[in-house]
Amino acid sequence: MGPWAPTKMSSMSDRKAELERKKAKLQALRDEKDRRRREKEQKDAEEALARASTTSSLDSRRDLDEMLSSLGVAPVKDVLSSLSSMQSLSPPQTASPDASLPHADRSAPPHGSLKKSTQLQIISVQSTDIPPKENVTYAKQTQTTTSGITEIRDDEYNLNPGLEWEDEFTATKPSGKHKSADARTPHPARAILIHRPVLTFDGDAARQGEDDDAFHGKLPPGILPHGLPTVKEVQPAVTAAPPEKKEEEKEKKVRELSADEKHTIMLSAEFQRFVTKAGRVIERALGESVDIYTDYTGGGDSENALDDKSDARLSLVRTFYDERWSRGRCVTCLDWSSAHPELLLASYHNSDDAPHDPDGVCLVWNTKFKKTTPEDVFHCQSPVMSATFARFHPNLILGGTYSGQIVLWDNRVPKRTPVQRTPLSSLAHTHPVYCLSVVGSQNAHNLISVSSDGRMCSWSLDMLSQPQETLELQHRQSKAVAVTAMAFPHADVNNFVLGGEDGNIYTGCRHGQRAGVTDCVEGHAGPVTGVACHAAGGAVDLSHLFLTSSMDWSVKLWSLKENKALYSFENSGDYVVDVRWSPAHPALFAAADAARLDLWNLNRDTEVPVASIQSEGGAFNRVSWTPSGAHLTAGDDAGKISVYELAESEYQPRHDEWSKFVYTLQELRNNQADEESDRLSLASGPPSLTSLTSLASNPLR
Amino acid sequence: MFQATEVEETIKRIQAHKGVMGVIIVNHEGIPIKSSLDNATSVLYSGLIGQLTEKAKNVVREMDSSNDLTFLRVRSKRHEILIAPDREFILIVIQNTSD
Repeated sequence: MGPWAPTKMSSMSDRKAELERKKAKLQALRDEKDRRRREKEQKDAEEALARASTTSSLDSRRDLDEMLSSLGVAPVKDVLSSLSSMQSLSPPQTASPDASLPHADRSAPPHGSLKKSTQLQIISVQSTDIPPKENVTYAKQTQTTTSGITEIRDDEYNLNPGLEWEDEFTATKPSGKHKSADARTPHPARAILIHRPVLTFDGDAARQGEDDDAFHGKLPPGILPHGLPTVKEVQPAVTAAPPEKKEEEKEKKVRELSADEKHTIMLSAEFQRFVTKAGRVIERALGESVDIYTDYTGGGDSENALDDKSDARLSLVRTFYDERWSRGRCVTCLDWSSAHPELLLASYHNSDDAPHDPDGVCLVWNTKFKKTTPEDVFHCQSPVMSATFARFHPNLILGGTYSGQIVLWDNRVPKRTPVQRTPLSSLAHTHPVYCLSVVGSQNAHNLISVSSDGRMCSWSLDMLSQPQETLELQHRQSKAVAVTAMAFPHADVNNFVLGGEDGNIYTGCRHGQRAGVTDCVEGHAGPVTGVACHAAGGAVDLSHLFLTSSMDWSVKLWSLKENKALYSFENSGDYVVDVRWSPAHPALFAAADAARLDLWNLNRDTEVPVASIQSEGGAFNRVSWTPSGAHLTAGDDAGKISVYELAESEYQPRHDEWSKFVYTLQELRNNQADEESDRLSLASGPPSLTSLTSLASNPLR
Repeated sequence: MFQATEVEETIKRIQAHKGVMGVIIVNHEGIPIKSSLDNATSVLYSGLIGQLTEKAKNVVREMDSSNDLTFLRVRSKRHEILIAPDREFILIVIQNTSD
């Protein structure tokens, strides 16, 4: 605005007239300028309107505009900009083009204040940022209903449009604390709004005319209705109002749910899924006993404990036991996931203590997290005699049952019963399935199952309604082989080794002219309980070696190349229930009899186990190595699985273990040959001799 | 109904864990659905942790819109609060760590 230079009164009338003319012209110019400006501002305001995000409040703003313009007042674009910034949380970029103006002359005294009778003075209000506690609502209605209160109030600060709004918002607070007429004590909402010099009217004498004055004062910056002096104000500082709004909404929502509603929610599938999922995570988190605030500056007790532990070659680290699902159930099979090496699958027989629970149970245990409960629980109607993770299908778990059915569980499906099962028909098994194995490669693999009536079936996992192939296992057209144990040599899909109830060891192949049982050796004097093929691949191929365990208290070492046992380990005084080669060490294997778990290292000693550990309570039934070979698990007849840790020196093979083992084998053969010759007093050229020469000619590493 | 017992089982298992003081399941509105604590405490925890979780979720999403909050642990001198949030519900476990 052009400065208002006070005009000097001249005594000469013509001069005066001339001056008057000039003045009128000036006035006209100014009016014109004013008008154009107002138009521009109107346009700006409309733009701001368009930019405002909510369309619902748009109408109310337009109403306000109309109301104001009907009073001859320019639209309050500043109100709009401040409002829109409140609601959209965007910085007030909708400010008018001349927004810089109020900032520029914020400190300067207002120009036209001379004209007014009221005295204006500048006061500096302390700027404090106290987050208001009030709940703010933005209803136009509220404004009108509570407008009476604003009038009662002796509001000196009410120059700011935004301020007035804020005040009224606070009035809606349920407590009604600020409805009192005393506004001089600055309440929190005001404290943040007034940041800068504001105009104050002196004295209550101006009360009467204040309505009018306040009205003009409420105009946004830069708007000069009726040529009034500009009293520039700055928009109210907008603090965290939107979050508050949210909070309020939340408070409103919090209400008690009735027992019925809660029950409905609890029965919803969504809820079930959530609890299963979140429960699993929470249990894992709870299982972590790691104290991240461990203070090492304290005593050194932990070091001693470590020393004690490292001394033992075999030490119990964990037990897997579930009061509900495994108690009183004999562990029938153990298997490890190839996709997740920490997962242990255990199948269980039925329990006499729980006649109402399903007979067959499979639990998946996690060795990684120290949670005491199973990762998954599966069950079916018949006791599970054998179980395996479906290789190449990390989510599928297969179980061979006592009834002869093969069942398939899927851990992606939130149910514990099988998703698929094979039929009980003459085409498939009708006797207990003791052996189950997935052989082959990613693209071509089959599930091989053998039942105790001597039938071997190959299945495709895509179609469990009927077997792809069936093979009757019988030796020389005699009666069927009652198979109790089966093993496939490492990476072999065709040849297999079987252990029979009659104590015989059978070898056979799945394909070819002579598919079926090809050979039979009288191996044991009692039923064979376990067959294990050599598992640790290395410099020398030892996959022809296998071990058998039997109820005749012995474990025997065999080679597929010979029809005679290489060695017999007769250290046990009880049924030997299972035997397993270490997956890492070529000369290491574990054997379990009912009361004891033995660890044999043939490179170190062939007469006695290198370590033994007594069972705690139950009688062992199954043994299994973790895929890394660092731990040994043993399941007993009471449903408990014990996890034993091996000392690193025990399970970690040195590089020369393979060649050393070959010498050990040779030594065993030599001893055997000596015994034979002593006994028969003539060398009758046993088949072992031929293989011995072949071995000797074999360059060792 | 069988599945409902499964839920009970899970909660019982968590509760049986050493040091666990309480288990609360809250819906997305901050209303306790199931709790092992008394009503006042449950409502207090539900409201506060509901808000905290919402805030944490926002923080994670602000930093990377394709990301999402999956777990929250609040460790204090006396307790540890384990929070497993989901779209619809939040599972809260209060654990005593000062043993």
